[in-house]
Amino acid sequence: MPSNPGEVALEIDSPTESPRASSEFEEVSYPTWSQPRAEEELPLHYMGEDKARRRVKGAQAAPESTVMFDADSPTEYDQGDDGGKDVYAKLRQHQTPVSRMRRTSAPPTSVSEFIQQNLEHLPPAIYTLLSCWTRFHDIGKSPYVVWDEAHFGKFGSHYLKREFYFDVHPPLGKMLVGLAGLLSGYNGNYEFKSGEQYPDDVPFVAMRVMLATFGVAMVPLGWYTAVELGMSRRACHLVALMVLCDVAWLAISRFILLDSMLLFFTFLTVYCLTKFNNQQHEPFSFDWWTWLSFTGLSIGMVCSVKWIGLFVTALVGVYTIEDLWEKFGDLKMPVRTYIRHWVARAGCLIGLPIIVYLISFKLHFLILNHSGPGDAQMSSLFQAHLVGNDFSRSPLEAAYGSRVTLKNMGWGGGLLHSHVQTYPVGSSQQQVTCYHYKDENNDWVFLPRWEEPEYNPNGELQFVKHGDVLRLSHFSTGRNMHSHAIPAPVTKTAYEVSGYGNQTIGDSHDYWMVEVVDDIRRGHRNNFETIHTLTTRLRFKHWKLGCYLRAANAVLPQWGFKQIEVSCEKEDNPRDEHTYWNIESHINDRLPPAEITHIRSPFFRDFWHLNVAMMTSNNALIPDPDKEDILASKPFDWPWLHLGLRMCGWGDNQTKYYLLGTPVIWWSGTASLGISLVVFVVYLLRMQRKYVDFAPGEWDHFLYVGKIALFGWCFHYLPFLIMGRVTYVHHYLPALYFSVLMVAHLIDHFFLSARSLSERTKWAVFAFCVISIVGTFWWFRGVAFGIDGPINDHKGLGWRKSWNIYSL
Amino acid sequence: MERPTGSRRRRGYGGIDAPSNVSTSARSSDSEDLPTEHSQRAGATIIPPSPWNLHNYAIVTVMTIIAFGLRFYKLNHPDQVAFDEVHFGKFASYYITGEYYFDVHPPFAKLLLGLAGWFVGYDGSFEFETIGDSYTAAHVPYVGLRALPAFLGSLTVPLVYMIMLESGYPTLVAAFSTVLILLGELDNGHIGQTRLILLDAQLIFFVTLSLYTYVKFRKVRYLEFTPVWWGWLCATGVALACSLGCKMVGLFTFFTIGTAVLVDLWEVLDVRKEGHTMDYFYKHFIARTVGLIILPAIVYLSFFWVHFALLPKSGTGDAFMSPAFQETLRNNELLMNSQEIRYYDTITIKHKETKVFLHSHPEQYPLRYDDGRVSSQGQQVTGYNHDDVNNHWIVVPTKALPETGRGRIVRHEDIIQLTHVATDTKLLTHDVASPLMPTNTEFTTVSHDEARGERYNDTLFQVQIDDADPGQAWKSKSGHFKLIHMPTRVALWTHPKPLPEWAFKQQEINGNKKVHEKSNIWYVNEVVAVEGGGEDVRNRTGQVATKEPSKMNFFKKFAELQFLMLQHNAGLTAHHPYASSPLNWPFLLSGISFWTDNEKEEQVYLIGNIVGWWTCVMALSIYTGVIAADLLARRRGTYPIPYTVRNRLWNNAGFFFIAWAFHYFPFYLMNRQLFLHHYLPAHVASALAAGAVYDFIFSELNNFPISYPGPKTRARRPTRSDIFKVPAAITLTILTVLMFAMFLFIAPLTYGTPTLTGEAVNRRRLLSSWTLHFAAKKTTMD
Repeated sequence: MPSNPGEVALEIDSPTESPRASSEFEEVSYPTWSQPRAEEELPLHYMGEDKARRRVKGAQAAPESTVMFDADSPTEYDQGDDGGKDVYAKLRQHQTPVSRMRRTSAPPTSVSEFIQQNLEHLPPAIYTLLSCWTRFHDIGKSPYVVWDEAHFGKFGSHYLKREFYFDVHPPLGKMLVGLAGLLSGYNGNYEFKSGEQYPDDVPFVAMRVMLATFGVAMVPLGWYTAVELGMSRRACHLVALMVLCDVAWLAISRFILLDSMLLFFTFLTVYCLTKFNNQQHEPFSFDWWTWLSFTGLSIGMVCSVKWIGLFVTALVGVYTIEDLWEKFGDLKMPVRTYIRHWVARAGCLIGLPIIVYLISFKLHFLILNHSGPGDAQMSSLFQAHLVGNDFSRSPLEAAYGSRVTLKNMGWGGGLLHSHVQTYPVGSSQQQVTCYHYKDENNDWVFLPRWEEPEYNPNGELQFVKHGDVLRLSHFSTGRNMHSHAIPAPVTKTAYEVSGYGNQTIGDSHDYWMVEVVDDIRRGHRNNFETIHTLTTRLRFKHWKLGCYLRAANAVLPQWGFKQIEVSCEKEDNPRDEHTYWNIESHINDRLPPAEITHIRSPFFRDFWHLNVAMMTSNNALIPDPDKEDILASKPFDWPWLHLGLRMCGWGDNQTKYYLLGTPVIWWSGTASLGISLVVFVVYLLRMQRKYVDFAPGEWDHFLYVGKIALFGWCFHYLPFLIMGRVTYVHHYLPALYFSVLMVAHLIDHFFLSARSLSERTKWAVFAFCVISIVGTFWWFRGVAFGIDGPINDHKGLGWRKSWNIYSL
Repeated sequence: MERPTGSRRRRGYGGIDAPSNVSTSARSSDSEDLPTEHSQRAGATIIPPSPWNLHNYAIVTVMTIIAFGLRFYKLNHPDQVAFDEVHFGKFASYYITGEYYFDVHPPFAKLLLGLAGWFVGYDGSFEFETIGDSYTAAHVPYVGLRALPAFLGSLTVPLVYMIMLESGYPTLVAAFSTVLILLGELDNGHIGQTRLILLDAQLIFFVTLSLYTYVKFRKVRYLEFTPVWWGWLCATGVALACSLGCKMVGLFTFFTIGTAVLVDLWEVLDVRKEGHTMDYFYKHFIARTVGLIILPAIVYLSFFWVHFALLPKSGTGDAFMSPAFQETLRNNELLMNSQEIRYYDTITIKHKETKVFLHSHPEQYPLRYDDGRVSSQGQQVTGYNHDDVNNHWIVVPTKALPETGRGRIVRHEDIIQLTHVATDTKLLTHDVASPLMPTNTEFTTVSHDEARGERYNDTLFQVQIDDADPGQAWKSKSGHFKLIHMPTRVALWTHPKPLPEWAFKQQEINGNKKVHEKSNIWYVNEVVAVEGGGEDVRNRTGQVATKEPSKMNFFKKFAELQFLMLQHNAGLTAHHPYASSPLNWPFLLSGISFWTDNEKEEQVYLIGNIVGWWTCVMALSIYTGVIAADLLARRRGTYPIPYTVRNRLWNNAGFFFIAWAFHYFPFYLMNRQLFLHHYLPAHVASALAAGAVYDFIFSELNNFPISYPGPKTRARRPTRSDIFKVPAAITLTILTVLMFAMFLFIAPLTYGTPTLTGEAVNRRRLLSSWTLHFAAKKTTMD
C-alpha cells in the first residue's frame, strides 16, 4: 500500500536540539500550562472529513500538541504515568456524542424536505438495491442441488416433516431454512441428493431468494458500521463496495446454505457493537440500553446459527473487558454505577444470548416431535416421546434371553455396538463401540454364565436382577462382550472391551455383573426387584477385573469409523454417568408389550445432551489422512486466496460455481492487517520520541477502529490454526469482513482523511480503489453468477496456478 | 486490549492534569537509579557493596559440595543403558568414530559428550542398542561419560545461588532458591536427569548461565560501552548460543533475554530520560544486535562446523540427507554406486518414502471393483518390496540418439518410455480411476503395437530430477526424480495402503495430480544391465573406482541439516507411554521410567521432589496474584507497594517469571511428544521466582542499590534488606528439612538402588498417577 511519506515515514530522530519551527504536521512548543480550550474538545467522530482526523495545526493547539523534552522540569517524568489518575475523565471528554443527539428536527412538511433530511441514507439505499441485483440475479440458473444444499436443504425439510434429525450445527439457521421452505410452499418431501435436479414441486428459487436476503442486508450493514466507526464518507463507500463486490460472499449467499445467515448476524453484531460504543457517553440512556441489548440478541442469533459465532462473541467480550477496565480506573465513578455497568453487561451480553440460544433449541424440540433419523443421539426417554416411536410397546421387564439395546446415559452417549471389524491395536479382537444410529449391530442378548445351564427358550422365564452375573452376547455376530488387562485404544488408562468367542467358546472374562443404580420412576434400587426398560439405570461391572463398562465420548480413529470408544474403567466412580446404561429397545417374544407412558425428560437435560453430542460429532470431523479431500483446505491457504473451491460438478453442460474471493479485496485485506501492525509500531516509536501525530482523542479512535478490525480478524482466523477439524475456504468468510474494515480504515487514515493531501489526490485514490474493486468483481462475476459451457473457454480467470478453476 | 502506554504518557505529559497526588514512592519509572545529569554529586557516588562476603562463600561452597556429592553418588549405577542414553550415548560414540549421524537436536551438547568420551579413552565401539544393555560387559567407560552431565548439573547449583545474590537478594533468599534446586533439582528431577548421558544437564547449565550473565550485564548498564559492559554482553551471547546449541529449547532463552532487551531499549529510546539522541540509541541497538544476535549466530554455526568436520564418514544419518549432501561423506553408498544412466539401460526404480520397487506382472486389473467402478482391465502395475525380475524396466528414448558417447545419457526433463522387461510391454497411465483412489489415475502397460499406435502419447513420461539444473545427467541412487506423465501431467506415485488379494496385497501405484508433493519422488536403485549387456556398468564412464567425496558449501549443509532437524522434531508425534502433557509438569503428576532391572527389581524413575516443585508452583501463583492486585489497586489510585520493592518485584522477579513462562507455555503449542524433563529449565526459573516471592513476603526493604554506578548516576541513599528475621529463617529451615526428607524418601527411585519391596514402592507412589514398576499387587477382587 502506498503511503504518504510525510506522515508515516519512520522519523525517529532526536528532537532535543530545538523545537521544530514549522513542520507541516507537527507544531512543537513549550508547555503553556493552560487548560485546554473548549473548542479543542470538539467531538471528533462523525464530523466532516475536513474537521475530523485533522492533524493539529497552528499554535492554538499547542497545549495539546505538547511539549518536547524539557530538562528543567524533571517532575514531568511522573506525568507520563497516569496510572492512578482519572484517565477516564479525560477520555470521556473526547468521547463526546458520536452519533449526534437524537434528532429533534421537525417532521418534514414536504417531499423535498424529507429527502433533504434523509439524504445520508441515500447511498446505502442505492447500495442495497445494487446488492439485491447481485444477490438475486439469475439465482435459479442452476436447477441442481449445489454443494451443501444437500445438507441444509434436507435439514430444512425435516422441520417441515417435523422429524427429529441430528446435525453438528445449532438449529436457528436450519429453522430459517425450514421457514423459507414453508413460506415458499415447499412440502418437505424432497431428498436433496447432491447434484440432482430439482423436481418441479420444489420451489428452490424462492427458498434461495429468501436466504439471499440475508446476504443483501450485509451491504447496508457494512455501510452503517463504517459510519458508526467514524470513517469518512468515501471510506464508507469503500466498505460498502467491498462487501457488495466480493464474489465469495456473493456466491455463498445465493444458495440454500447457513453462511449467508452466519455472515449477516456477524455483521449485525459488529454493527450493534459500534452503535453501542457511540452511546457510551450517555450510559443507561434509552439508546444505550437498546444497543447493548441488541448486541446481546445478535450474539445469541449468530451463535445459534453456527458455533463460529463464538468468535465474534469473543470480540465483544474483549471490547467489554477493556471498557470495564477503563471504567475501573475512573475514580470519580461511584461504585454503585460501576456495579450497574457490570450487571448491565452480564445481563445483556451473557444472559440474553443464552436465552436466545435456549429458545432456538426449545423451538427445535417443539417442532421436531416425530421420530426421525437423529433419534439415537438423544436419551431414551426423549425418544420415547417422539411420535412414531415404539419404545412404549416393548416388554417392560428384562429377562434372560431378552434381546436389548443398551444406551449410555452420559451426556451425548450412544448405543452399545459391535461389528465384525477388529481392533488393529491391542488384542486384535472384535471392536465394541458406541454408535449413534439404529442398526441391528446394536442388539445384545442377556445370557447366563458358562457354568450355569444353557439358556432354554422354553424353560422357566428368569428375570435379570441387581447383582446378577451374566454374559452379554452380541446378537448378529454371536461374540461375547469381553474385557482383559490390555489398555483401551484411546483411553490408555482403562481396559479394552472387545467381542470374543462365540456360543460355545468363552471364559470368565466374559462375565459382567449387573449393578442397578436406581430407577427414574421407582426410585432407589431397594424399592424394586426387576429391571425395567428405559427407566432403570444400570452399571456393568467386569466380574474378573472389577472395572466398569464406560463410554465417554472418546472418538476412535478411522479404523473404528469415528465411533465412540467403549472401555472398562478401573476406578470405581459411582457418580460417573458415563458408566450408566439403560435398556432402550427390548425384544422378547415371551413377554407381553407394556403399554405405558413414560415421564418426559426435562428440557435442560435434552438441551445439554444434544449440545454434548454436537460437540462430540464436531470433534470427530477431523481430516482423514487416508482419504483425499479435494475440497478441504488449510487455514494458511485462505488469506492469500491460495485455493478456490468447486461448488458443483464441472461438466461442460453444467452451470459451474466456484467459491473464490475477489482477489483485490482478499489480498489488500491481508496486506492491510500486516501494515496495520507496522503502522502501530511506528506510531508507538514516534510517541516514545515525543512526536505528536494526533490531536487529542484521535489516537484513541484510530486505535479503537484498528482493534475492532485486527482482533476481530484474529479471533475469526487464528482458532482455525489449532483446530483439529477439517476446514474449508468458506470458514474464512467472517474473518474477511474484519480485513475489509482494516483496508478501509487504513486507506481512510492515510489518504481519504489525511490533512496533507489535496482533495484532488483523495479523489484520485478513491477512484483508483473503486475502479479496481468493481473491475475485478466484474471480471470474476461469473464464478458467482454461474459459468455456462466449457470452462476452458472462459479465459483469464486463473490468476493463480493453484486455483483448480480450469479442468486439466 | 490494554491501552498502550504511549497514549497515556502523552496525555499525562501534555500537562492536562497537574501531577499533584503522585508521591515519589509511587513512581512507575522502571529504572531503579534514575540517572540525571543534574546530579551535583556525580562521581561521588556510593559504590554498591559487593554481595560477596565470607559466609556467602562458605554457603555456596557447601552447597556445591553437596551438589557434587548427590550427583556423583553411585554414578556407576545402573551399569546399563538407561532411557535416552540409547540415543545420546550412541551419538557421542559417532563423534569418536567419525560416522555421520542425524539427530533432531543441535550438536553442542553431544559434542561435549563426545569430548568427555574421548577424554576418558572411549573408543566409540559400543552400540547403545537397547535400554538395559550392560556397560561393564562391554568395557565402556560410561562413568566418564556420565561425569560430564553430572559435573555441569552440579555447577548449576552455585550458579543459581549467584544469580540470586547478584540480583540483590540477601543470603537467606539465595539459599532458599538454591535449596529448591539443590534438593529440588538435586532432588530427584534434576539429579535423575543430570546423572545420565543426556543433553538436559548441559542445556540447563547454559540456560542458567545465560540468565546469570544477563543479570550481570544489567548491573553494569551505567558503565555503558566499557570493557566490562562489553564483556558481560558477549558472555550472554555466547551462553545463549550454547543453550541453543544443546537443544532447540534454547530458543526460549533467547526470547526471555530478548524481551528483557526490548524493554531495556524501549527505555533508552524514551526521550524524557536525559534526552538521548538517536545516535545514542542506535549505538545501543547495534551493540545488542552484535552481542546477542550476530555473536551467538557465529558461535552456533561454529558448532555445526565442528560437527561436520568431525563426521566425515558415511554412517546411520546418510539416508536423511539429500543426495548432494551424501556425496560429501566418505564411503557413502551413493558416492560409491551412483552411475549415469543411458538409454536402453535396464534399471530398477524405487519409491523414496515407502521403499518399494516399481513392479508389474501379467495379472490384470479386475474389470469391476467392489465399489462398482470399472477398470481398464489392463496389466497390473504395483509397488513390490522385494527384488525380482519383474522390477526391471528399460529406458527407451523418444528422440534420435547418437551411436555412442555421452549423447546417450538420459538427462533432466528428457521424455522417455519405460519397457517392462518380463512381459515386454510399455508403461502407461490414462484417465481411468485407480483401484483405490477415484481421484488418481490408473497405471498399466500395453503392448508395443499399441504403444506405437494410438496409445503412443499415453506412454510418454518426463524425467524431472529433483533440484536439478537443465541438462543434468540422470544418475542411479543419487538422482531423485519425479516421473511426470506428459498428456495428463500426473506424477507416478504410490502409498502404503495395499491392494486386495487380486494384486497379492502389493502396493497401489497411481498417478497423483498433486505433482509438487514430496512423496512423488523415486530413484533408480540399480542399473541392472546396459544395452547389449556387454560392458561393465561401473567402468563404462571410464571413472576410477574409488571416488573422493565431493565438496559442499558449509552454509548449504547447515541450512539443510537445520531444516531437517526442525522437520523431524515436529514429526515426533508417535505415542510414548511416558509422554505427558505440559499441564502435568509443574504439579509432578507423572514421571518417566528411565530404567528397570527385572531381576533385582530395581528402577530409576524420574520424578521431582514434590515439596520443592509444589513450593515453586505456589510461589508462582502468589506472584501472579500480587501482580494482579497491584494492577487493580493502582487502577483505583492506591499504591500499596513501596517503590523500590515494587521495582524489584516487577523487573527482577518479572524477569524470572517470564523466563519460566517462556520455557513452559510454548510447549502447549507443540504437537510432538513431550516429557517431564522438558520442564526442567522452566523449573530452574520457577525456583528463582520462588526466591523473589519469598523475599517479597518476608522483607520490607531491598538491598539497594545493586547496580554499579556510572558517571552520571545520581547518588541515592542505600538500603539493606531486613529479611534476617526469625519467621523467614524458620520457613527456610522447615522447607530444607521437608525437602531433604522427601529426597531421602524418593532417593531409591533416583539412584535405582537399593531394591524396594513392593509395599515400599506402593508407599512411594505419592500420587496415584505415578506409574512405578514392581508395585505390590493389590489383592484380587472377589
